[in-house]
Amino acid sequence: MAVRGIEPILLDLDRLEQLAESGYYNPYTMFDWPDAIEPDLPWMSESLTTLAGTPMWDELTREQQIALTKYEAINFFSLNIHGIRELMSEVVMRIHERAYADVSEFLHHFIGEENEHMWFFAQFCLRYGGKLYPAQPSLKADSVEHLSPVAREMIVFARILIFEEIVDYYNAHMATDQSLPAIAREINRVHHQDESRHVAFGRMIFTHLLGQVARRDPDEVPLVAAYLEDYLQYSIATLYNPAAYRDAGIPDALALRRRALEHPARHEAHEQLLKRTRKFLSKAGVGRELIK
Amino acid sequence: MTTEPMQAVREFILGRNSEIQQLDGDLDLIDSRAINSLAFVEFIFLLEELTGEPIDPEEVDLDDFRTLDAIEERFFKQKAA
Repeated sequence: MAVRGIEPILLDLDRLEQLAESGYYNPYTMFDWPDAIEPDLPWMSESLTTLAGTPMWDELTREQQIALTKYEAINFFSLNIHGIRELMSEVVMRIHERAYADVSEFLHHFIGEENEHMWFFAQFCLRYGGKLYPAQPSLKADSVEHLSPVAREMIVFARILIFEEIVDYYNAHMATDQSLPAIAREINRVHHQDESRHVAFGRMIFTHLLGQVARRDPDEVPLVAAYLEDYLQYSIATLYNPAAYRDAGIPDALALRRRALEHPARHEAHEQLLKRTRKFLSKAGVGRELIK
Repeated sequence: MTTEPMQAVREFILGRNSEIQQLDGDLDLIDSRAINSLAFVEFIFLLEELTGEPIDPEEVDLDDFRTLDAIEERFFKQKAA
């Protein structure tokens, strides 16, 4: 696929490439997978579940609370897996396009590492949970058809960046949460370590492509800001999976999901989760304050 | 029997598309982007809630969601019958 109308992407990635090389590890041998997860331990931090801070959490039995951490961990890792599938397919199609020649070296590290992350997330879900949650359906007629080719190109990398920043918020917290089983902590830690490079790269390429968009047509920037805000909200909503509530034995999953998404404590949690990304977008000149 | 859930479906679409003046039963909701990728998941959850039946995301046939007429036929007429 030719990427038309995109100027060559020139970024100084020497340091990130060196770090990717020096930090290279074999994911297939580095984890010590236990036979089972200790039955009474949460699979993800309780404060990161979608009901945290609401009366809906307090109303659950302890058994349901632990089950919710289990199924929301599987949902979180499943979202990671599907997000990686999407971003890998996008990046693979660009890796030897002319516009990307200068960043191709780093993109090889990126794809390789993402493939490995996908493997260990799936290992965790399948070994201990016996399943992944399926990807939500997407539409061919997408939400970006009103944008220019350059802006659409930018959106590809913006989606990757936003996804990685949200995931990293979770990983960073769970990497040091002593209440979790060691294997859950370790997966989050390793991912957080690699993602710091990916987020750094993501911010660089996003800023570069946003510059191309703004030079071509500054009036398009508020449209991009509106899309990005929608995408942030969409990403948050995917964390609230009714199938996870059902699997945890919680009744009225869809009504519960709606109540949780509307709860002020959850709005505050979403603000915290998105704080770093929103600050970056505003500084880059494409924050939600631009939305008309 | 079918009016009430279809009203909720209409409200979902109109609530996200203030520029739509008239929502005809044969308007292609997907091609017209009245329902875009980002809204589609929420739309599926709404239909699940209205029908009381889970929708398997891996078994979704987009044509079932393309127009209000198709949605009514697929999700609400069968139940009423």
